[in-house]
Amino acid sequence: MSYLSLENVVKTFNKTEVVKKLSLDIQKGELVSFLGPSGCGKTTTLNMIAGFLEVDGGKIEVDGKPVHLLPPNKREMGMVFQNYALFPHMTVFDNVAYGLKLRKVPKNEINKRVLEALEMVRLAGYEKRYPKELSGGQQQRVSLARALVIKPKVLLLDEPLSNLDAKLRQEMREEIVDIQKQVGITTIFVTHDQEEALAISDRIAVMYEGRIEQVDDPASIYNHPKTDFVSQFIGEVNHIQGKVLETYENKKCKLHFFGNEQIVSVPSVKNSEVHFFIRPEKIQIALAESNERNEAFQTKVERKMFLGAKTRYILKVHDRHLIADISNTVLNPTEIKEGNSVYTYWNPEDLLPSRMAR
Amino acid sequence: MQAGIGTEHDLLLQQKKKNLNKKRLDTWLLLLPTLGIFIFFFLLPLFFLFITSFKNFDASTGVGNEWTLQNYIKFMSDPFYLGVVWRTVKIALLTTLITIMISYPVAFQISRSKGRTRNYLTLLVLSPLLISMVIRCYGWVILLSNNGVVNNTLLKLGWIDQPLTLLYTELSVVIGMVHVLFPYMVLSIMGSLEKIDPSVIRASQNLGASSFRTFFSILLPLTLPGVFAGSVMVFSLSVSSFVTPAILGGPQVKVMSYLTYEQVAVMLNWPYGGAIGFLLILIATITIIAYSKILARSEKGVAIQ
Repeated sequence: MSYLSLENVVKTFNKTEVVKKLSLDIQKGELVSFLGPSGCGKTTTLNMIAGFLEVDGGKIEVDGKPVHLLPPNKREMGMVFQNYALFPHMTVFDNVAYGLKLRKVPKNEINKRVLEALEMVRLAGYEKRYPKELSGGQQQRVSLARALVIKPKVLLLDEPLSNLDAKLRQEMREEIVDIQKQVGITTIFVTHDQEEALAISDRIAVMYEGRIEQVDDPASIYNHPKTDFVSQFIGEVNHIQGKVLETYENKKCKLHFFGNEQIVSVPSVKNSEVHFFIRPEKIQIALAESNERNEAFQTKVERKMFLGAKTRYILKVHDRHLIADISNTVLNPTEIKEGNSVYTYWNPEDLLPSRMAR
Repeated sequence: MQAGIGTEHDLLLQQKKKNLNKKRLDTWLLLLPTLGIFIFFFLLPLFFLFITSFKNFDASTGVGNEWTLQNYIKFMSDPFYLGVVWRTVKIALLTTLITIMISYPVAFQISRSKGRTRNYLTLLVLSPLLISMVIRCYGWVILLSNNGVVNNTLLKLGWIDQPLTLLYTELSVVIGMVHVLFPYMVLSIMGSLEKIDPSVIRASQNLGASSFRTFFSILLPLTLPGVFAGSVMVFSLSVSSFVTPAILGGPQVKVMSYLTYEQVAVMLNWPYGGAIGFLLILIATITIIAYSKILARSEKGVAIQ
């Protein structure tokens, strides 16, 4: 039984559907990310869950009870906003206490719970400050404490880290996950940053044009993308196309690409051409040909970029470019110079089949 | 070598100083025209009037040469004049209060609307400022006079037997004043409403506050600076306004500016008129300072903002 469920949720703005019959089930205590490019409907969906936007179809249930007709102040959801949205005329204490005062919690209990919440976000001692006197990261923590102190049923995070600088963002995201797991609260995390989503989520819902393309755990999303959009949006891919030479029974076929033949498994073969994606880090290169790599083909190193732990090689083959990221511990980048010819190969299992019908 | 660095450093410092001086000069240069007009045509005459207000006056010989406090004493000790002071302040306070109440919803609605609707609404609000004060006041005379539109309508409906006295009352003055001054309040409140991040309102709702509660706990405190700025404008404009009380109140509803006018233009008693004028300035200043003190005490956070 899912804790939070969206069923065929629809949102229309000016006759265009921005969220199209979206359905999703989230388990209690789970952290699910909504990941997608801007305009994919992820924030719209979040706002419908929070009640700031009305649903134009479908329903939203929390703990088995429909909530999509309730006003936002009756939904018992804690939200953390992108720009923190702290009340500027209240102290940190009053900001966090606001929701408790509205619930008519006794004064001494308010005191206790606010201090606990501030301790949880490591801001004990800041009660008397005003939001303007805090850094961005501190403001975000207050915002998190304010959302959690009311013990909401669901925690909604709307791109909470996008206004922080890179280093702080990493720290904060780990902290958010720690607190989320500690409290055990069902959480939706909206982000456009795939690294962030991969790092913190129990499951990721990749969204595109108002639909969920795939919901899965981060590793499955990355390694087994179900749609072309997911393959291209999460991580980087090289797009390659091959001619079908022979098809075999067990969904395998012999392909011809870059002057090379390889037997790969393909979900279905309709045309004489098949498209694949391969991630840059799955491509291997070597200076010398070896017997084991009889499926290798020759490419020319056009550019080489040192990226610290890895080196990115732009390879040219048959007027096409391939990007290969190779760990510097596997291959010493000084061995290979721009203009060199190298043997390029990959494990056929690493090819991600594309549904592109070109 | 080190000496060389030293001089270079000094040169740099000198250059910086020069730039700073130039910057200061630029600031003054830009302010100069306005400042000149302000000093010569406002502060200087005011100063002379201030001096004149301490001179004696004789109806036959005019302004005398003796120094005296008589003008101020005469005003402060006469119940009639003190009544005028009270009426002036009362009308101004009432005008301010009513303007706040009718302007806030308007400002709220405009700040929420977009595009064309917003432009039209803003134009509508500003429209009283586009028409001459005198014409607008006579418009109210037509509406409020004994055989005016309002009374005629009420008589025809049979709601009243005799025409109500609407014109030449404090009520008519307040009505006219509110009409003239409410754009200032609307614009001022709009300014501070627009500075509020909409997600703050959402955060309040999300935490369980009703719209009513959100208004009083979040929206109103955050817009108090705008309400204050608008109040200062409306209060000081209404406490010193002349045309509206003169046309809609007449001699029956004398206010301080009307008294000043009477003394200066009719009685030619410049010293006494000057004294009344300065007391008016004093009263307005005191009221505004008191008002800002009260506001500052009620909302510390806004001040920090």
